[in-house]
Amino acid sequence: MLLRYVNLWFSLAKFSLLGELAFRGNFLIKIFVELLWLGILLLFNYTIFQQTTSIADWNAQQYFFFIGCYFAMGGLIEMLFLDNCNQFADLVRSGDLDFFLLRPIDEQFLVSCKHVDWSCAPNIILGAVIMSLALWQIGWTFDTIQVGIFLVLFASGTALAYGFLLILMSASVWLMRNQSLFEMWWLFTTLMRYPSEIFKGPWAQPTGWFFFFVIPIMLVTNVPARVMVRPLLEPWLACYAIAAAIVVVAASRYIFRAALQHYRSASS
Amino acid sequence: MMKYLKILHISLTERLAYRADFFLTTFFRFLPLVTTFLLWEAIYAGAPKADDGAETTIVGFTRDKMIAYLLLVQISRMFSSMPGLATGIAHDIRDGNLKKYLLQPIDMLWYLLSYRGAHKIAYIATTALPYGILFFLFRDVFDLPGPWTWLAYFLSLILAFLIGFFFEACIGIAGFWLLEVTSFMYIVNIFTFFVSGQLFPLELLGEYPYLTAALEVLPFQYLAYFPAMVFLEKRQGTELIVGLLIEFAWAIGLLVFCRWLYHVGLRHYSAYGG
Repeated sequence: MLLRYVNLWFSLAKFSLLGELAFRGNFLIKIFVELLWLGILLLFNYTIFQQTTSIADWNAQQYFFFIGCYFAMGGLIEMLFLDNCNQFADLVRSGDLDFFLLRPIDEQFLVSCKHVDWSCAPNIILGAVIMSLALWQIGWTFDTIQVGIFLVLFASGTALAYGFLLILMSASVWLMRNQSLFEMWWLFTTLMRYPSEIFKGPWAQPTGWFFFFVIPIMLVTNVPARVMVRPLLEPWLACYAIAAAIVVVAASRYIFRAALQHYRSASS
Repeated sequence: MMKYLKILHISLTERLAYRADFFLTTFFRFLPLVTTFLLWEAIYAGAPKADDGAETTIVGFTRDKMIAYLLLVQISRMFSSMPGLATGIAHDIRDGNLKKYLLQPIDMLWYLLSYRGAHKIAYIATTALPYGILFFLFRDVFDLPGPWTWLAYFLSLILAFLIGFFFEACIGIAGFWLLEVTSFMYIVNIFTFFVSGQLFPLELLGEYPYLTAALEVLPFQYLAYFPAMVFLEKRQGTELIVGLLIEFAWAIGLLVFCRWLYHVGLRHYSAYGG
């Protein structure tokens, strides 16, 4: 069963790549856009670190590792899911979702994984390069267990983000004009773009706790980045991040199925 | 004139028809603002302290002035950002929908200007309350300027709206010659986000003199940075008047260029579709 889906995903990924390569110019422009965005992100943070020695107790190298982690994670999510989820509202509005429901495979898999946006793949590599450079500047020595924990937490962070994306996407069925999912997702992920320690102060701290424990979007990048560059990672935090990913993914599936129950075909 | 006012009214009604989506997006738009404030709080907390115990400043901005600046660029962008304008024009050209403007006694650019005006009024009206609360909460970071500065600020915002509109319309009109402008718009948006001063005051780029000199002569700073600097009274006297005149010149220049481009584009255009 699982193997069938893995094979199917590889076929879809291959088909997506052929589609992208048919429009090479557009593909290269998309990669250029991502590079430009990364360049601006790095220039902004480099400029900032000319004025300050640390941001919320993260020094420059640690902070750049965080940025690399965020960039790689964002690239992975964009590559695998974002474009698919972005099209869901149109499928609902036009009634084309019918064609997905008629196929003998899981609807969630088909809706959220059918297209792979290969132009975001370089982001993962660039993110990894930034992380590696930051670790090299810190003087990090290779530790297999630490890397293993990081990879597990990176995967759980990706699953957590996927769960939230699926919940936002499912809202299209009720809102009917969720045309701006891409924008909403970008705004929502603002919360995973910075270290949680910046949430200091009388109103910011409760807000930070809210997005750490109630809607745990801040766990996505914070926990994997911490395990590599911060001196101490509490084991409960790693366990909590994994548990949160399982709960959010399960909840997102439930909400997606509830959304399908409310779907009324718009086609003739 | 009346028909364009009618368009403004209809567009306003349409805009408010999907209230849930509209308010949800509006709420989400505050998240980057909140995290940006917190980031700058952390930056100031980590910045080296002055020996004489004076308040920490970064490129001439105290923490309060920086927060005020970041709030004010939101207002600037409220006027100057034109989401979907360029891609909308390009799609109309590509799909052949442009002929609806050619067959009716209506000018596409003035129509879209009215439509965008309605969009801005609806957006400002519906976000007035949350923004009002936000500005009230941060009232201590502002020193309210005098009436002439208010007037100059208002003028700079109106001109920012016009520059933003005609700049994006020019890119959309490029669709007469380019098949697809979406990717190009991504590049422009990211570039504008940076060079308009939306991310931080342009003084922070002081160590790149060629870049700052280039930004001085380009229109992008008028989309966010310049109006904020006017309100903060960091542009006064002759500097303010010259700045406003250059902004006005850019608005008129882009208007003329846009109309010329549209005129040339129409000669190049072949309509498709039934």
